[in-house]
Amino acid sequence: MGHGRYIPSEPVFEGAVLVDRPLREVCFAGVKRRYMVTSGGDLHLTCLALPGSDALFDISVDLLDEGALARLDGLYLSLSDEDIRLRTTIHHRSGGAISRQLFKGIAGGTSKAVFDGTIIVAPDAEKTEAYQENHNLLLSEAARVETRPQLEIYADDVKCSHGATVGRLDSEAQFYMRTRGIPETEARILQMLSFLSPVLETLPEDKRSEVTSSVEASLRSI
Amino acid sequence: MDNLLEINNLHASIGDREILRGIDMTIRRGEIHAVMGPNGAGKSTLSSVLTGKPDYTVTEGSVSFNGRDLLSMAPEERSWAGLFMSFQYPVEIPGVTITSFMKTAVAAHRKARGEEPLKTADFLKMMKEKMAFVGMNPSFSKREVNVGFSGGEKKRNEIFQMAMLSPTLSILDETDSGLDVDALKIVADGVNSLHTPETSAIIITHYRKLLDYVHPDVVHVLKAGRIVATGGPDLADEIEKNGFDRF
Repeated sequence: MGHGRYIPSEPVFEGAVLVDRPLREVCFAGVKRRYMVTSGGDLHLTCLALPGSDALFDISVDLLDEGALARLDGLYLSLSDEDIRLRTTIHHRSGGAISRQLFKGIAGGTSKAVFDGTIIVAPDAEKTEAYQENHNLLLSEAARVETRPQLEIYADDVKCSHGATVGRLDSEAQFYMRTRGIPETEARILQMLSFLSPVLETLPEDKRSEVTSSVEASLRSI
Repeated sequence: MDNLLEINNLHASIGDREILRGIDMTIRRGEIHAVMGPNGAGKSTLSSVLTGKPDYTVTEGSVSFNGRDLLSMAPEERSWAGLFMSFQYPVEIPGVTITSFMKTAVAAHRKARGEEPLKTADFLKMMKEKMAFVGMNPSFSKREVNVGFSGGEKKRNEIFQMAMLSPTLSILDETDSGLDVDALKIVADGVNSLHTPETSAIIITHYRKLLDYVHPDVVHVLKAGRIVATGGPDLADEIEKNGFDRF
């Protein structure tokens, strides 16, 4: 799947966060950050972009040793005219490391959301596992979503996958719920919350209910 | 009032294609009616129009349910008023568990009746009872609605929802399609035991199979968008023997 030549970037990163043990972070809009994950490092980062303001996330992760783990989750809601950009670059520099990404977004109004996700697997980074999922729901004709997964794999023995979808609320499911007495608005909210729940569920307990209520309140205001 | 449902001269189209061409049918409280017909007769259109599916347009006629104008009601209002349909193809709702689905539905029904929501413990007890009633494994309460269910499990889930919502009129749309005899019996047992002198059912079917287990009072033959014959249970036997050609 690799194309072109592997060009390793500078292996020493000024200002990068060294992750050599479990690290759990939740970040809101406007973050540019680079992480170096070494053996014993277990990064779990959640990016949240809630409605009302533009957001730019630029996250780079370098997996330097065997056994390094990185998990990136993201949830973005752009419901009026926001501009949301998410860029992730996961660089497997050494074999035997695992990265997982799950980004889910809902775009309505005249908003725009762009997800750029690059995974690079260096030559000799055998036994790498790298997974990326980006799923989107469009609520209006004018909203736009772009999803650009990019895999550059220079090693042979790897497990890598990516999945990207852009869809709309399922009208058959909406009708089914309504025939059971669930009002149209509730049916929409139930479907949107369940779409987002795989990301909401990964939030640390002290933030989960607060973020979930805030998301639900935003969805109700549409 | 003895009549639960009165359909008068119902015409309905999808796009500019007319599918129902003047249906008349009266269902009294406590009656079970079967609507039989070949493919393309308009059976699915009839159930879709009665439940308020947005894709269909009623061009003529009226439907009165419990004395109310059914066609002016939203699908959810029809449900609150006591109408239920067991879908021919139950829809998958990824991410929504049966528990949260039914909790939302039961809460909406109670709200429409001006009642407080059930306490969680009471709701879960009700779920457990109704699941046992239709022979559904309790582990299904945590499953996503219809996701990965077999044909029989989907139909059983429909009857479970019917038991949860206690409708006065149930439409069973091709509930027998794709079921083996064991699953069919379970569905039929559920339907029979939910049946009371106050509740009615419409069984929409191509085959007579389900009618061996749920006995209709009245049988209608639907063909090319019209009811072409109405009779007793013997009409179903005759169709089984001779098919729909003579109508």
